[in-house]
Amino acid sequence: MAEESILTDEFLRQLINVGEADVLVGVPTYNNAATVGQVVQTIRAGLLKYFPRERAVIVNADGGSRDQTSDLVRGASISDLQHSTDLNALRTLHSISAEYAGGPATGTALRTILASAELLRVSACAVVSPESTTIAPEWIERLLRPVYQGNFDFVTPLYRRHKFDGLLMRNLVYPMTRAFYGKQVREPYAAEFSFSGQLASHFLAQEIWTHEVGHTGTEIALTISAITGGFRLAQSFLGVKPHVDARAADLVAAMRQTVGALFWSLEPNFSLWSTKNDSQPVPTLGAGQEVTLEPLRINRKRLFGMFRSGVAELEPVLKSILSPPTLSELQRISALDEGDFLYGDDLWARTVYEFAASYHKAVISRDHVVQALAPLYRGRAFTFLVENREASGEQMEQKVEDFCLTCERLKPSLVEQWNGRK
Amino acid sequence: MREMIVNELTQATQELVREFARFLPRLMVMLIVVLVGWVIAYVVKWILRSFLRLIKFDKLSEGAGATQLLNKAALPSSTELVSRFAFWTAWLGFILVGVSALGILGMQEYVTRFFVFLPRLLVALIFLFIGLLAASFFSRAALLWAVNTNMPSPRLLSSAARVLITVFTASAVFEELGLADSTMLLAFAIVLGAVMLGLAIAFGLGGQDLARRFLEARFAPEKKEGQEREDELSPL
Amino acid sequence: MPISHDQLWYKDAIIYQVHVRTFFDTNGDGIGDFRGLAQRLDYLQDLGVNAVWLMPFFPSPLRDDGYDIADYTSVHASYGNLEDFKGFLQAAHERGIRVIVELVLNHTSDQHPWFLESRKSRDNPKRDWYVWSDTDTRYQGVRIIFVDTELSNWAWDPVSKAYYWHRFFSHQPDLNYDNPDVREEMWKVMKLWLEMGVDGFRLDAVPYLVEREGTSCENLPETHAVLKELRAKLDQHYPGKMLLAEANQWPADLRAYFGDGDEFHMAFHFPLMPRMFMGLKLEDRKPITEILKQTPQIPPSCQWTLFLRNHDELTLEMVTDIERDYMYDQYARDKHMRINVGIRRRLAPLLDNDRRRIELMNGMLMSFPGTPIIYYGDEIGMGDNIYLGDRNGVRTPMQWQGGWNAGFSTADPESLYSPLVLNPVYGYQAVNVESQKRFDHSLLCWMKRIIKVRKANPVLGRGSIEFLYPANHRILAYVRQLDKESILVVNNLSSTAQAVELDLRRFKGNILIEMFGRNIFPRVGDLPYLLTLGPYQFYWFRLRRI
Repeated sequence: MAEESILTDEFLRQLINVGEADVLVGVPTYNNAATVGQVVQTIRAGLLKYFPRERAVIVNADGGSRDQTSDLVRGASISDLQHSTDLNALRTLHSISAEYAGGPATGTALRTILASAELLRVSACAVVSPESTTIAPEWIERLLRPVYQGNFDFVTPLYRRHKFDGLLMRNLVYPMTRAFYGKQVREPYAAEFSFSGQLASHFLAQEIWTHEVGHTGTEIALTISAITGGFRLAQSFLGVKPHVDARAADLVAAMRQTVGALFWSLEPNFSLWSTKNDSQPVPTLGAGQEVTLEPLRINRKRLFGMFRSGVAELEPVLKSILSPPTLSELQRISALDEGDFLYGDDLWARTVYEFAASYHKAVISRDHVVQALAPLYRGRAFTFLVENREASGEQMEQKVEDFCLTCERLKPSLVEQWNGRK
Repeated sequence: MREMIVNELTQATQELVREFARFLPRLMVMLIVVLVGWVIAYVVKWILRSFLRLIKFDKLSEGAGATQLLNKAALPSSTELVSRFAFWTAWLGFILVGVSALGILGMQEYVTRFFVFLPRLLVALIFLFIGLLAASFFSRAALLWAVNTNMPSPRLLSSAARVLITVFTASAVFEELGLADSTMLLAFAIVLGAVMLGLAIAFGLGGQDLARRFLEARFAPEKKEGQEREDELSPL
Repeated sequence: MPISHDQLWYKDAIIYQVHVRTFFDTNGDGIGDFRGLAQRLDYLQDLGVNAVWLMPFFPSPLRDDGYDIADYTSVHASYGNLEDFKGFLQAAHERGIRVIVELVLNHTSDQHPWFLESRKSRDNPKRDWYVWSDTDTRYQGVRIIFVDTELSNWAWDPVSKAYYWHRFFSHQPDLNYDNPDVREEMWKVMKLWLEMGVDGFRLDAVPYLVEREGTSCENLPETHAVLKELRAKLDQHYPGKMLLAEANQWPADLRAYFGDGDEFHMAFHFPLMPRMFMGLKLEDRKPITEILKQTPQIPPSCQWTLFLRNHDELTLEMVTDIERDYMYDQYARDKHMRINVGIRRRLAPLLDNDRRRIELMNGMLMSFPGTPIIYYGDEIGMGDNIYLGDRNGVRTPMQWQGGWNAGFSTADPESLYSPLVLNPVYGYQAVNVESQKRFDHSLLCWMKRIIKVRKANPVLGRGSIEFLYPANHRILAYVRQLDKESILVVNNLSSTAQAVELDLRRFKGNILIEMFGRNIFPRVGDLPYLLTLGPYQFYWFRLRRI
């Protein structure tokens, strides 16, 4: 059987016209007409300003949008066909847009962008979210330059975030990725990142594409693959991360994309992570990460309520996942009053490790393992919010750092459970 | 008259003793067959289990995804399952052979019927296995969904899902076994009716709140706005 | 082959630019002369050119390569005398080669008798022939052209104790065209040469003739009025003669020099040339198509002149800052290669002596709308010497053969007006006419072929141009059209093989005939016409409906 082709004929046709390029900016979209126009125009401004001499291309991998997304992207092209003499551009800039096969999925879009990058033999490729409305032309420079100059293979972003934005990242994804793989990558699941052409080929050759992580949660799988492949990593400070409309965010989906993909990655990389006991910082370029402190109203009562009912209702499920001491400790704290409640670092780290081990052993459906973690995470988030209500950005950073160290300290327990019988 | 009675009794007793004497060896044979059968079945089980362990059957079945399925249905490992099945089949065979040795009239026919029935039993067992699997999976899925969406009474929902699927499974199994006569149908209808009533009540009670919230959202959105704003935190 | 009587002869011309001094020396003084030039006319006829543009050959102190004229009516002693010139002129005309003479209208040498008179005293009759001032603050804000050598457009004259105006070197005072006597005197000069039989003038530095306070003193309406007056006299007395403007300006400003067909016949298209080099380096047609799209329509009797290189630097005045930086980085990394706002290099070294790129650039030059100019020596791929001062590096003697002084002169090598190029790659022993004549595949023979094809197809000189915009931006494709003749030109600007789909639907049914080999390509159908081109390859196709 012929190997399936990643790129559609239409995509290929447009790529042939682009020809070999030096830098590529990929934009995965699906019905993003509201914001993509602004984002693509900013990308173009960034390319013109910082890479005027390089052969650049903007590649929009679209999931079949029914709005104006494609037209808006194509509108950013600079060619001799359109009259745009006011633009001080040295060369043609292709901004192409085509639909990938198989229906909307971020992973497929990323794979399409990777395949384009490989096909065009680019030196550096960046991926930019069509929803990043706070993007500035400098982002393109900050993402692409470290890679294009040949110093790094993979650049993840740092953002100026709202204090309580990215809770899952702070309380689970970052510390766990760090503990597992020994690299202090702050945003292992990023909407913006960049990589070298060599790394693009490496990504494409990975196993992930035939699995679920090849569709959702691909970003974190790529980060992990860059770490485990021994590529040169860097973090680059971009700017303000827009606050996501809360109602659009579904915690379970987010957990599947991050925690699910993270747990999944443990299986093939066992020999790698099981021997690592500490973590190394990643070179950071730019201003570093900061937080903004304006208050954000979060319904903590509801968080706590959902945690409490989760622990009670899910008892039979949790029984099959958690060890008896952990479960009873959980049950104990869930009986506490809101004021006394504390889901401490130690217990939370152990919880997550036991979930990881159960995921590995597939004691129940793996997806159910991930889902069952959601209510417990709410409890942890509640604690984090209460603890850091008055904390400054630095204090909060210190808390996150402490938790990371706890995770690293408790990691041997996971290795033990991994091979042991339940 | 008396003598006649005594005579008859003696004759009957003698007849009984004679009959028993004639039956006893057969019983002994049967017991021996069953006992030996157990030993043989156990040996078969032991050999099979050792053999399966030797060829790492568990790993094989894990690769094929069977282990996960078994885990989900809360069943033991595949090696254990296969060897246990072999044991029971073998022993049951011996028991039946033993029973037929009793020479009880008609029993022969039942034994033959049993061996004819065996494949259908197997299919029914597979149905049962899949059904239990599905029941466990979907009840848990319902539970998790309900918990994560903050639905009222997740356990009830979960149980309802389990019962429903179990009942369907049972009916399918009985159908396969050819036991689905009117009694079964009736029983099934009664159970199903009870479940439906239970569900209706459960949803009615729980739904009261849901309906209120829906109506509020529909007709008094401005009241809800502030509350909803601070509701969920963005996870990423 | 006598010269034709077509009034529009300049539209079909292929002009060879040469300085008398550089071509051939017959009297052994190390300097080329008119007799030498006449002797080498057979070479030019064989090459196929049908016009020669002679750079200034007038008596001059030669402080600006003859552009500082001390006498408009004679020939510099080193090059011969007026009789020698007339002999050359006649010989050229006999071979069907027209002669264009260069005149510098804007200024004279400070050794010119007019200026010597003018500076004598403030009440001299010729005082008003130049632009004098008591202060150096008039016409402030006017740009300085030779930024590397001049600090001001005013120079102090210690003799008459006043400042005089000069747009170029300080030894080149500007004539005052507000003075009718000056205008009349210049017309007399032109008449003198026209009477001898020259076919046209290249007028140097025309935008700067007239000065007005508060302006850039360039392209002023008064300047245009002066030029129109000259043209009117020319048309009246000498029909069929041609005026060519040298005005390094943007196309929109250049357009004014054509007037309504009543000013110049031809003008140099300065902004195109750097963009051709840029497009080649970027492997992107955008710079070229964009500048040609910005090029305004000109009256039907007028024509652009196009060139790849000339005796000056590759000027980068008519590009944006970002483009200039790019050009410097790509074509002149060595600071020695830069002068003023440009790059002082010849064609072959600019293109890394890459035959494919040299051919492609010449192919575009010959197929763009306009009259091409070939700078002497570029037809054999001569090199330069960037370590000679000013722009002398591209003005070294013509390399005729591998022997003594490259066959240019019998003088001692030390006494040549300029050292020969000795570089092992570009030196006369490697690059010379004689060796290239021997081999059919030499650049010289290739140039002859392309000139022949160009001359055989007036559509290339006179036709309209319409760009095709294939999605592959490395491909520059256009259709030249005149009446029923159509020529399709497809150029691959990239160093790698390219595929291109051309939308030729309006030529459906035509077949394509490759013009160099006359091979037939498939008929145009409904589908996009697919062509593949090797690195830097180009095609010229005649479209024919058969």
